[in-house]
Amino acid sequence: MNRRTFIYNAALGSLNLGLIGLPIRQPDSALKSLKIDVQAPDLPPSPLGMPGLFPGRVVETEHARAIVDRRVSADAVRAMVEAGMKTLTGEVSPRDAWARFFSPGDVVALKVNPSGVPETTTSIALVREVVRSLGAVGVPPKNIIVYDRNSNQLEVNGYHLLVPPGVRVVGLDQRWSVEGERRSGYDPTVFCEMDCFGERETRSYLASVVVSEANKIINLPCLKEHNASGVTGCLKNLAYGSFNNVARTHAGTKTYTDPVIAVMCTASPLRVKSVLHIMDGIRAVYHSGPFAWNPEFVWEAKTLLFGTDPVAVDRVELEIVERKRRDVGAPSLWDRNPENIGDMQRSAMKNPFFREPGHIKTASLLGLGKWELADIDRRKVRVG
Amino acid sequence: MDNGNWITLLAANDRRGGSTAPRKAPPGELIWKNALEESVRSSPVLVDGAVYVTCRDGRLHAFDARSGKRRWSYRAAAASNSTPSISGDLVLFGCDDGAVYAVERATGRLRWKTAPADGPVWTSPTVLSGVVYFGSTDGRFRAADLDTGRIRWTRETGGEICSTAFATERIVYVGSGDGRLYALDAATGRDAWIHQAGDAIAASPAVADGLVLVGSEDFWFYALDAASGKVRWKIETNLGIYSSAAVAAGKAFFGGKDGFVYALSIADGKEVWKSRSLRTLTATPVACDPIVCIQTFYGATQAFDMQTGNELWRANLGGSLQSTPILTEEAVYLATYPGVLYALR
Repeated sequence: MNRRTFIYNAALGSLNLGLIGLPIRQPDSALKSLKIDVQAPDLPPSPLGMPGLFPGRVVETEHARAIVDRRVSADAVRAMVEAGMKTLTGEVSPRDAWARFFSPGDVVALKVNPSGVPETTTSIALVREVVRSLGAVGVPPKNIIVYDRNSNQLEVNGYHLLVPPGVRVVGLDQRWSVEGERRSGYDPTVFCEMDCFGERETRSYLASVVVSEANKIINLPCLKEHNASGVTGCLKNLAYGSFNNVARTHAGTKTYTDPVIAVMCTASPLRVKSVLHIMDGIRAVYHSGPFAWNPEFVWEAKTLLFGTDPVAVDRVELEIVERKRRDVGAPSLWDRNPENIGDMQRSAMKNPFFREPGHIKTASLLGLGKWELADIDRRKVRVG
Repeated sequence: MDNGNWITLLAANDRRGGSTAPRKAPPGELIWKNALEESVRSSPVLVDGAVYVTCRDGRLHAFDARSGKRRWSYRAAAASNSTPSISGDLVLFGCDDGAVYAVERATGRLRWKTAPADGPVWTSPTVLSGVVYFGSTDGRFRAADLDTGRIRWTRETGGEICSTAFATERIVYVGSGDGRLYALDAATGRDAWIHQAGDAIAASPAVADGLVLVGSEDFWFYALDAASGKVRWKIETNLGIYSSAAVAAGKAFFGGKDGFVYALSIADGKEVWKSRSLRTLTATPVACDPIVCIQTFYGATQAFDMQTGNELWRANLGGSLQSTPILTEEAVYLATYPGVLYALR
């Protein structure tokens, strides 16, 4: 077990790991400095681990008929996944593309985003297509685990009802059995410890699915704005959906999502095992995320983004959401105008936090991927 | 209904759900409550003064309906998400270890359990004429002997089965994740007919006036001829349907993931009313003249006027995804997802 200490110095806006100091944010006198201890097993590095086989490469597939008569089209999703995976890997066949990452003995965890109404969560059609694609390279359904922190959110969106037989759906807040052995959601030896705002429980534990059950993770986030972290995206979906007790990182108008999200993603089991990211932007959210109760803030982007580099994918997501917000006259995700603090449900002008999308750049500084647009190889594929 | 008892999902196997208790006013007084060890996904059942409920820690509990005192608990090998069914002196429930358990109602002792399926049994066992029907998430639907638990026949489907069966003497109806509604010969499990919907059928069918009534993830609510499987009518909603239908007074009532409670005329499918609830609805309503009552995920139980759809009352008691309340003249019993069982006056 390895223990690393990160110091976020709010007055300097820096993140220190040992002797290395990284400038990550503007100095913020409203925040105190934060000590973050990460205890995790030190897994051997893998070329598949973040930023993975294709650092900086982001493939955007679009399909005009991704939504037909209000329903996500399974045929369009299949076409987008096949085209996206082939373009990402350079392989000729979808099967060969998937085989770059997965082999029959793998136990693969799918990190979905179930936070929201059924139209703003990871599409069932995408989950089914990923399961089918894994099956094509020999990964059986029983070796596939769909997981998230919240079993109620998984259930209300129907994942457990709608995936193929044999696929396990695990809410980390529950206990479950594997071949008679009782499992619980979190590993008590793997955690991220910090005191953000004087909370009673200062540890966030990592999912036992990530630590000890799966050997690979496919991250299936949604293309969504987030009221605290700017966007949900790959990094936040992985970190805040795999560690527990994370809502404590934002309180009042203040947020430590930058750097906490990035730091959590450096925990070895997450970093090494997360080999592929497919972002669901079939329906996308530009405001009031992650839940987006108001359908006014949801648009049909009809896209899926593919990459092995979560920073690059999130950077492209950030650009897409920013452009949409500009189109509708909403403030930038980087807005610091105190007059725009307010109820986000009724107006795209208002938000309860000063958003901190800087966690994406921080993750880049920590070696998880490419942040600069000039370093990102963005490939668009119109499928239909 | 069975002499005022509430023996399975929606009270009895006809899915008519409920007594004649008026309940036009919200419950106003707590009789008792019990915080269980883990969350509850299933519905409680009530028989002869005892409330039975399963819990995700694998326990089946029996509580005295008047006092709330625990009579006994039986712990299965894994979590239970299955609404219990009462038959004679047995309580039957499904378990995530793939078995259906039959426990003696008076003592809490195990009488038998079935050979395990390859996936959890989330459905409620349906009991008719000495046979227990249940599906499991391995995609198989089974008929077992009520006396012994021995499997009589198995029918494999192409999807997970989370749909509780509706049994008649001749035909058993059940939905599957493969999008099919199966009508199976009750004695042999052979296909009588199959209807293919556009997506999974996780809701439980109800049969009334010669029609099989069921919603699908494909956004449609179907009325199928019970004998032939032909579509008599269908109504499109705005999202998938997981809520099972309750039938009463010539109407079918269900909740949609689109956040509406629907009341449809069984005769022709015409919308009698449609009332907005609290976002996504996945639980099954109770149609208990003169009210329709449903638990929502977002923390409230709501009651609507059965004739008009106007909201009559709302009680903030903690949300539920699949649980259905029991309404009697004496009390309302309901279980919440966080694992609290309430008795309210």
